Amino acid sequence: MAFNVLVVDDSAVMRQMVVRTLRMSGVPLGSVFEAGNGEEGLFVLQEQWVDLLLLDINMPVMNGEEMLRRLRANPETEQLAVIVVSTEGSETRLAVLQELGASIVRKPFAPETLRDTILRVTGVTDVEYYGAVPVASDDSDF
Amino acid sequence: MSSTTAQSLSRATTATFEELALLFPETELSPEQAAAPLDVGVSVEFRGPLTGRLVVRASQTILPAIAANMLGEEESKQLPLQRDALGEIGNVICGHVLPLIAGADKIFNLAAPVIHESGVLPQRDRDRPAAVVQVGVEDGRAEAVLYIFAGAAAGTASAA
Repeated sequence: MAFNVLVVDDSAVMRQMVVRTLRMSGVPLGSVFEAGNGEEGLFVLQEQWVDLLLLDINMPVMNGEEMLRRLRANPETEQLAVIVVSTEGSETRLAVLQELGASIVRKPFAPETLRDTILRVTGVTDVEYYGAVPVASDDSDF
Repeated sequence: MSSTTAQSLSRATTATFEELALLFPETELSPEQAAAPLDVGVSVEFRGPLTGRLVVRASQTILPAIAANMLGEEESKQLPLQRDALGEIGNVICGHVLPLIAGADKIFNLAAPVIHESGVLPQRDRDRPAAVVQVGVEDGRAEAVLYIFAGAAAGTASAA
């Protein structure tokens, strides 16, 4: 299964970095959409099928927390897998985001951290991800 | 709060360069690094229990390496992306340092990073900084300066 991913971050550099990490991670990707704030992100979700949302918090126009609240209030997106990728360090705010069903990856992040979180959130197992481990045959008959 | 603030800023700056830019900042600057100009600046304003600004100034010469590690070799040649990469460094240092100095339960709102060409910074930044950190990076240097305008008394402290 290939995942359609939406990356919402007001920093073009960070969006590029996240997308680069996604591509390097080996997670099967379908379409990758980008948006510069929560409002743009909601618009993309109205138009496109998305399996996974990577969301920043501090953004102009509509921040990530507000976007997440609106997603959860909409029956069509209430179950969407969400990973908050943010510099956010407030435990109070992080707890709120987790209560809204988001997983958290703090910036700066190691690529493996983001990859492992994506695998966990999407339910892709290591076997699906790496493929079945081939077993060498010795051609012996039993 | 001074020495703690400086240590926190030093920790946040080092961690950000290491983890985000995959570069290893040196706290002991070589003569060449110390002489390198700080010709590009970025500032990030924050509001919350503390109000202020985090400024990162850097030598232009280190920006391609930062951008290359963050974005890839091809993108690193584009000047606007080099500036944006430094902006993101400033944003992450700011997000990292505030919970360290104000407490992990406090909520801050960070504005988008603003780039200052030639390292010329806003008038307000002539105020006394709460903490200053300098690190050597590649053949240049970077400086992180934390200004706190409201919310706490700010004494100058520095960490190298």
